[in-house]
Amino acid sequence: MPPLMGIEFLCRVADVLNDYLGGLNEDLIKDNFVIVYELLDEMIDNGFPLTTEPNILQEMIAPPNIVSKMLSVVTGNSSNVSDVLPGATASRVPWRTADAKYANNEVYVDLVEEMDAIISRDGVLVKCEINGEVQVNSHITGIPDLTLSFANPSILDDVRFHRCVRFRPWESHQVLSFVPPDGQFKLMSYRVRKLKSTPIYVKPQLTSDGGTCRVNVMVGIRNDPGKTIDSVTVQFILPPCVLSADLTSNHGTVNIFSDKTCTWSIGRIPKDKAPSMTGTLVLENGLERLHVFPTFRVGFRIMGVALSGLQIEKLDLLKSVPYRFYKGFRALTQAGEFEVRS
Amino acid sequence: MAPPQQSQRSPSPSQPSGKGEVSDLKSQLRQLAGSRAPGVDDSKRELFKKVISYMTIGIDVSPLFGEMVMCSAASDIVLKKMCYLYVGNYAKVNPDLALLTINFLQRDCKDEDPMIRGLALRSLCSLRVANLVEYLVGPLGSGLKDSNSYVRMVAVIGVLKLYHISASTCVDAEFPSTLKHLMLNDPDALVVANCLSALQEIWTLEASTAEEAAREREALLSKPVVYYFLNRIKEFSEWAQCLVLELAAKYVPSDSNEIFDIMNLLEDRLQHANGAVVLATTKVFLQLTLSMADVHQQVYERIKAPLLTLVSSGSPEQSYAVLSHLHLLVMRAPYIFSGDYKHFYCQYNEPSYVKKLKLEMLTAVANESNTYEIVTELCEYAANVDIPIARESIRAVGKIALQQYDVNAIVDRLLQFLEMEKDYVTAEALVLVKDLLRKYPQWSQDCIAVVGNISSKNVQEPKAKAALIWMLGEYSQDMQDAPYALESLVENWDEEHSPEVRLHLLTAVMKCFFKKPPETQKALGAALAAGLADYHQDVHDRALFYYRLLQYNVSVAERVVNPPKQAVSVFADTQSSEVKDRIFDEFNSLSVVYQKPSYMFTDKEHRGPFEFSDELGNLSIGAESADTVVPAQSVEANDKDLLLSTTEKEDGRDLGSNGSAYSAPSYSSAATSQSHEELALTNASVLGQAPASSFAIDDLLGLDFPVGGTAAAPPPPPPSLRLNPKAVLDPGTFQQKWRQLPISSSQEYSMSPQGVALLTSPNALLKHMKDISIHCIASGGQSPNFKYFFFAQKAEETSTFLVEYIINTSSAKSQIKIKADDQSSSEAFSTLFQSALSKFGSP
Repeated sequence: MPPLMGIEFLCRVADVLNDYLGGLNEDLIKDNFVIVYELLDEMIDNGFPLTTEPNILQEMIAPPNIVSKMLSVVTGNSSNVSDVLPGATASRVPWRTADAKYANNEVYVDLVEEMDAIISRDGVLVKCEINGEVQVNSHITGIPDLTLSFANPSILDDVRFHRCVRFRPWESHQVLSFVPPDGQFKLMSYRVRKLKSTPIYVKPQLTSDGGTCRVNVMVGIRNDPGKTIDSVTVQFILPPCVLSADLTSNHGTVNIFSDKTCTWSIGRIPKDKAPSMTGTLVLENGLERLHVFPTFRVGFRIMGVALSGLQIEKLDLLKSVPYRFYKGFRALTQAGEFEVRS
Repeated sequence: MAPPQQSQRSPSPSQPSGKGEVSDLKSQLRQLAGSRAPGVDDSKRELFKKVISYMTIGIDVSPLFGEMVMCSAASDIVLKKMCYLYVGNYAKVNPDLALLTINFLQRDCKDEDPMIRGLALRSLCSLRVANLVEYLVGPLGSGLKDSNSYVRMVAVIGVLKLYHISASTCVDAEFPSTLKHLMLNDPDALVVANCLSALQEIWTLEASTAEEAAREREALLSKPVVYYFLNRIKEFSEWAQCLVLELAAKYVPSDSNEIFDIMNLLEDRLQHANGAVVLATTKVFLQLTLSMADVHQQVYERIKAPLLTLVSSGSPEQSYAVLSHLHLLVMRAPYIFSGDYKHFYCQYNEPSYVKKLKLEMLTAVANESNTYEIVTELCEYAANVDIPIARESIRAVGKIALQQYDVNAIVDRLLQFLEMEKDYVTAEALVLVKDLLRKYPQWSQDCIAVVGNISSKNVQEPKAKAALIWMLGEYSQDMQDAPYALESLVENWDEEHSPEVRLHLLTAVMKCFFKKPPETQKALGAALAAGLADYHQDVHDRALFYYRLLQYNVSVAERVVNPPKQAVSVFADTQSSEVKDRIFDEFNSLSVVYQKPSYMFTDKEHRGPFEFSDELGNLSIGAESADTVVPAQSVEANDKDLLLSTTEKEDGRDLGSNGSAYSAPSYSSAATSQSHEELALTNASVLGQAPASSFAIDDLLGLDFPVGGTAAAPPPPPPSLRLNPKAVLDPGTFQQKWRQLPISSSQEYSMSPQGVALLTSPNALLKHMKDISIHCIASGGQSPNFKYFFFAQKAEETSTFLVEYIINTSSAKSQIKIKADDQSSSEAFSTLFQSALSKFGSP
């Protein structure tokens, strides 16, 4: 048995249950055990995974959401299972319902990127890469055939696609050609390596002297991405040899929790001053200086910019359709594993 | 479907519910059963849910059976589903109910709604009541021919379930051939995939008994079938794709064009969102190109990026599984990944098992161009809060140093570690510096300057202390205060708890003595005296040995204890290459995650007979290959403790190389053995040690007298069975015979302690058995569990005996299974075999 098959399947079960129940915890499962039974019944039989495609499952077993409850009250039809078998099981595009109908046809494409970086104590960028996803939310009537192209596909290092993406057009001219599933899905994920800079800098300085350690952390904008950087946080765990810590900042709030986690929430970086956090750590008796240096983990969000530089060129419907449809694009970059050593 | 009356409906497990509630439910259900009032379905559902939730928390609601079945006569699917769940749960334990259930389900199998037909069929097959299988055949047969693919899909899995309940019923109804037809002709991909998975399982299990099934199983791997699946692969669900890819990995293409065709077809699978598909594709690529070295390298290049992406996306579990596979590939072809070393940098909050794998990979990919950066990175981890990882990373630095030629910078780093004033860092670094000096003696000057400054009082860990002491002894000529450092260590002899350290201390004082006799004489005397009084057997023996050696001739002693050393060029690998190849063959399975081949962690009982033949093939066949495996395994066992084992080996080699000088002196052997005998006996009586240990000493000295009850009993008179000393049997025949013959004798046997002591590696027993004409065809296992397959032939005729021998050396328990052509003589052979075992280990 391939290990990943098991793990992937369990992840998929968790995702599906999450979709259905709007969360996943013991109580929710207890409250909805009948649905859970039904879902598991369709997803696995005799140890072999069957249907895990959320679209198909939703046709077989209606999710317990408000809408269906309203519907059942209004129409008097209280079954949460459709009477007919899903058509998609037999169709050529098993991930899509055959008869989606919308009054407003719209497609939203989001670039969501996470920046992973390691910065050494001298401020040198040891490693920096971006893991990104193209998330699409599509509500289009019929079976649309979409193409999405990037202005600069060459920067992508490696890509993974949703099963709906056709491989050949991508291979020949880096165009994503696909029939989207209905609703929200992850069209592709990609990786961009070897980025040269980060949007913000964090400079920690620790100087030990006679049983205490002075800490000074400065944060500022290094490369202005052109949009506001917000939700900036700096977090680190105090080394076990630290007895007590007294930290203050000139901007934002500093919290030290009982598990020795120290969080500095900065929020938005102000224009006029560079935020900094200063303070002293008192070391254990007998320790002259600090040997274990904490690693600072940084969080931030930038709306409207994909830091990898990836840009969507255009999104087209292949065949002319008798309706207008609305296209929306967004981008978001946030910190993934962004760490600064000291 | 969040029901409105939530509070009433969800009883918590703590709430005791008894018979009252069950009978309550019963009357309510009965009322509803016949009712046709509007909204009655809703109230039924509420009641059903209550029943099911009682069932889930373990309350017996079986008395409601009749009412439940009556109520679910309506065509509401949710009611049906809940009812199926209910009957499925109780039919197993309650045969009376099972029959009722079957009627009820059989009726539903003919329902108009395909969903209900499918669900009913699934529940019917899930009952697993052995004596009711005949009721399954009819519905399954019509299910396989159903016009709706959902029902067919369920029926296919149903056939497999039927096979597990009663294989003969399934085969008699010719379901396998029906499935085969469906597999090759059904338009629905899910049905085809289920057929494939069911047939693989059925034929694999059947193959051991029926020739035809074995042929069919082979036929699955034939070109038309594999191509049929590969061409349709995009229609399949991701899980079925994994199945097809597994199949393709076993397919043997006839020429290279075919290989390229398959790879072209599957290349886009590497971009699939499902990691399982990517990994399965990787396996196909690797397996197909095994014989084509260049292409194999290109495959590594090709699969690198997708795997690296997989690692950084997904849950920690996913990423660990992928990382283990990547680890395997990196170990096989480190140079291909040398440019990607940054991917193996550890993130601060990764779990330590991930970090450990990454550290190993970083070590492997280090080469001239990236060493500096990798070592810099590793040094960062040495200050890590996570102490085990800090240790690992220091070890990693050392390993890189041992495999590089330009170690200049690395030595400086290691020496910096020594000055970091953290005990575990110092400890690890000491061990490394010692290993480094053994490989690069030219660095001794630099290292010793730093090592000399370390006070042994700051080093607590036995391994590190032993390393420090080794260096003190080895380089005492260059260290001014080495004798005094050693002397103070000897003074604290009693406080030193680790025998390993005391052994090293003895040797180091000896070495120091040869280099600086006047300063060390006092320390040596004290050390030998303390050693002779030591309660630990090895320490005592070594002290005594040194003492006598010095007594005999000091220069000979110097040649034995402190010979000129050759630099170690290669340190032994921890895992034999054969084991690694086995793991590689089992790519995309748990073997990779566990880092050991499947035979080491699967129980033979849980494997089918088919895998057994597999296992035989994998065990080393014949005596010659056994020889190649065994050293590797013993190395593996030893290498857990690099320091201890290498010094032991070194000592052993010293003895060996100086063998002539050593054996030359004409000891009065009687005197020696006498004193040893006394020692042994005092030991036994004073310390109350097991007689076995004293016996082992006598044994060592070639003494031959029985001690206590553990001595080998006089061997029983040899039975009148003569074996052919030159018997031959090829592995294929062995496997075949083993499968065919019944077990004629199966016995438990306790190995004597001496025998167990000798069984540090499997091949000790082989030689012993060969002497009495019992030959080994395969052996394997890891301490403490070993497994052998022996065979023997009668001298006069061609009648053969086959033996499976499994021993656990830690408990000395073993199991003998004998199969014989000639059943009548198996008893005699069994006696012979046991008497042979009883002689094993005794002089």
